[in-house]
Amino acid sequence: MELGGLLLYGVSLVTFAGIFAIITLGLNLNWGMSGLFNVGIAGFFAVGAYVSSILTAPPSGGEHLGGFELPVPVGLVAAMVMAAAVAWAVGRVCLRLRSDYLAIATIGIAEILRLFARNEQSITGGAFGIKGIPRPFESMSRAWSEAAFMLLVLALMGAVYLFMERARVSPWGRVMRAIRDNETAAAAMGKNIEAFRLQAFVIGSSFMGLGGALTAHYLKVLTPEATEPLIATFLVWVMLIAGGSGNNKGAMLGALVVWLLWTATELVAGQMPIEWGVRIGYARMFLVGLLLVFVLQRFPGGLLPEQAPKLVDKQR
Amino acid sequence: MIEFINNYFLPGLILGSIYALGAIGVSMIYSILRFAHFAHGDLMTFGAYLAYAVVVALGWPPLAALPFALIGTSLTALAIDRFAYRPFRKSRPIVVVIASFGVALMIRAAVMLIWGVQPEPYVTGIQAPLASFEPLRMQEKHLVILGTTIVLVAALHLMLTRTKMGKAMRAMSDDADLARVTGIGTERVVAWTWVVGAVLAAAAGVLTGIDTQIKYTLGWDLLLPLFAAAILGGLGRPYGAILGGYVIGIVEELSSYPLFGDDPLISPGYKTGIAFAVMVLMLIWRPQGLLRGKVL
Amino acid sequence: MLVAEGLVGGYGGADILKGVSIKVDPGEIVVIIGPNGAGKSTVMKAVFGLVEPRQGRVTFAGADITRLATEQRVRRGMSYVPQERNIFVSLSVHENLEMGAFVRNTVPRAAYDRVYALFPPLAEKRRQAAGELSGGQRQMLAVGRALMVEPKLLMLDEPTAGLSPRAMDEIFACIRAINREGVSLLMVEQNAKRALALAHRGYVLSTGENRFADTGAALLANREVAESFLGGVG
Repeated sequence: MELGGLLLYGVSLVTFAGIFAIITLGLNLNWGMSGLFNVGIAGFFAVGAYVSSILTAPPSGGEHLGGFELPVPVGLVAAMVMAAAVAWAVGRVCLRLRSDYLAIATIGIAEILRLFARNEQSITGGAFGIKGIPRPFESMSRAWSEAAFMLLVLALMGAVYLFMERARVSPWGRVMRAIRDNETAAAAMGKNIEAFRLQAFVIGSSFMGLGGALTAHYLKVLTPEATEPLIATFLVWVMLIAGGSGNNKGAMLGALVVWLLWTATELVAGQMPIEWGVRIGYARMFLVGLLLVFVLQRFPGGLLPEQAPKLVDKQR
Repeated sequence: MIEFINNYFLPGLILGSIYALGAIGVSMIYSILRFAHFAHGDLMTFGAYLAYAVVVALGWPPLAALPFALIGTSLTALAIDRFAYRPFRKSRPIVVVIASFGVALMIRAAVMLIWGVQPEPYVTGIQAPLASFEPLRMQEKHLVILGTTIVLVAALHLMLTRTKMGKAMRAMSDDADLARVTGIGTERVVAWTWVVGAVLAAAAGVLTGIDTQIKYTLGWDLLLPLFAAAILGGLGRPYGAILGGYVIGIVEELSSYPLFGDDPLISPGYKTGIAFAVMVLMLIWRPQGLLRGKVL
Repeated sequence: MLVAEGLVGGYGGADILKGVSIKVDPGEIVVIIGPNGAGKSTVMKAVFGLVEPRQGRVTFAGADITRLATEQRVRRGMSYVPQERNIFVSLSVHENLEMGAFVRNTVPRAAYDRVYALFPPLAEKRRQAAGELSGGQRQMLAVGRALMVEPKLLMLDEPTAGLSPRAMDEIFACIRAINREGVSLLMVEQNAKRALALAHRGYVLSTGENRFADTGAALLANREVAESFLGGVG
């Protein structure tokens, strides 16, 4: 592969890693900081992806809802808002459930959302999906366009990271951790547990929606396959657990490392004899599962475990 | 009326049987091991494919291959527990749930690697319905499925009420700490729980294959209804899981009945969402389930 | 028979026990009393292996059992009745007893008969679900379950907690009867006066340490003990 191709590949890698970092940070808010067992990431991802696509894509001649051709930033914001709205509705009903139940409920929600995407052809384009989604900077030459989009993703990731760090050290973050670790004590302090949890759930899910939207714009095509839970949910969980649940840098690092590993296996698969090709995909799946179990056992805290909170308040 | 039974109620009974067998395992594993086993569906898949391997290799009918599936899946479940779940006995339950995600992926990937992704029937060719049951359009395979379910449920009942280990399982399901204090060998009970869960799951997988066909997503697709059935019946209550399984199976099949006019009540594309809706309703309205099982 | 020396530890974080020693000789009834939070229940749990002491030793019948698993301690003749949640509610009375004898390979009829003789109400309800029993009957079942393994040492954590005065009398009478059969007993009791009257020896614990140790009668007569620990309690 010549240098140009290699660089482009690297840019693509970093772009996806950045998108996954945003999603993983969202999961860190749900699970790492607040102890909410959200296994329905794919659902919020899908909401964000479809909302942004529908709002920004050109008219499709009746194949799906759309033709609004709104600017991409509008699409991104709408994606976050809609994902947050769905999370709010789901959270109102389900957050009071204990962890295992919440997991099952969120899986179910994600399934329903994906079923909706596949069935309601008039809205989402069904199995065919939505084509021609605009990508920011696409009028530039290829290399610049890719690089610019990557920088956009990294900028957004940086913004999300800063937000998350502020949240982590803020009084709000302390309350979230208190609720996560000892709910009864937190309730005794007079904190409205349900409200805090709902906030964490909604905001975290909106980041997942943003990730979905960015993916749709990057690929320029959106089909239900793009929201496949194997990648959109489970790989993200691996990223957070491996990177360090409760640690924002860990979340981003986990996204980068796991994505590198994932694409590395794809490269290896590409070198294998053709007949093996498909099977390598299955082997990759096996490895993801094994990695998850292994990391849980050896590195229960992840690569960058959660930092102990500073005990002294700076303002005192 | 007859059409109702043939096209809706009977399929509901069949589906319900499969759900029931899977849900019992989920329910018992939850109450004894204290976690939601996300790899349970894939145990079903694994059992189904083990039987398939025997059918293909030896040319036997699937029912004859069933014992191999049961034994093979049990051993696999014990091995999985030893290497993937036992290290987490003292950790927070969430951790082992996440581990079970990983295990689910591994089992599914192994199935895909070994047998590929094409759906396979156990027996090729048309199955003639039994004429002697007209106008009930019941086929031999339906009798096999219902019969096998009855036999397994009866065996389970005998185990839980007549054997020392069965009672110990009920005791540990009630209160694991007290079981330990009483001197009950908890690791042995855990092992037997895995065996029972795996046997029922493998059977459910094979019966699914007998009913239609097997594919690598067989169990994963059923995971949500399994949990729904277990929650509906009350976690830790095997009989509740059976009840829950049949309720959800029948409701799912009935949902496509054209109650008002010609169109199905609920669009078939959303059929899989029904179990989920039932489950969420249960969790909100009566989380301990119909037969009052564990809430958490 | 049972010797616990210098137990230090707790449930992970702070140490509840700061160096407690107790012993039980064969045939004795030994009682542990003290204010809430003194570590009474924790001592019993440490002796039985439910709580691992950071320091200290537990010896039973001459053998060091400090690191032994709970199941093994039961096999050696120790039996424990927790204060709460001490019966299997969805099992029948008889099945509860059956589980009590789990470590035994064969269980003679006599073992059941002995429990039913001690606690006649249980005999009537032997097929009923344990969850349907009254408070006093549940406590009887809990003790009965512990007797099924024919222990040398029976440990009871606040056996009269939450019981009516009459049920309390019955339990104390049963404790006496069990002891007469040769079983040694180690008890934590809130009902300090009555427990000390029953006991051969007693320990008074306070903030995780031994404060007093003497025969039951001597402790009852001890003015300091009476004022600090027996006044107003029970």
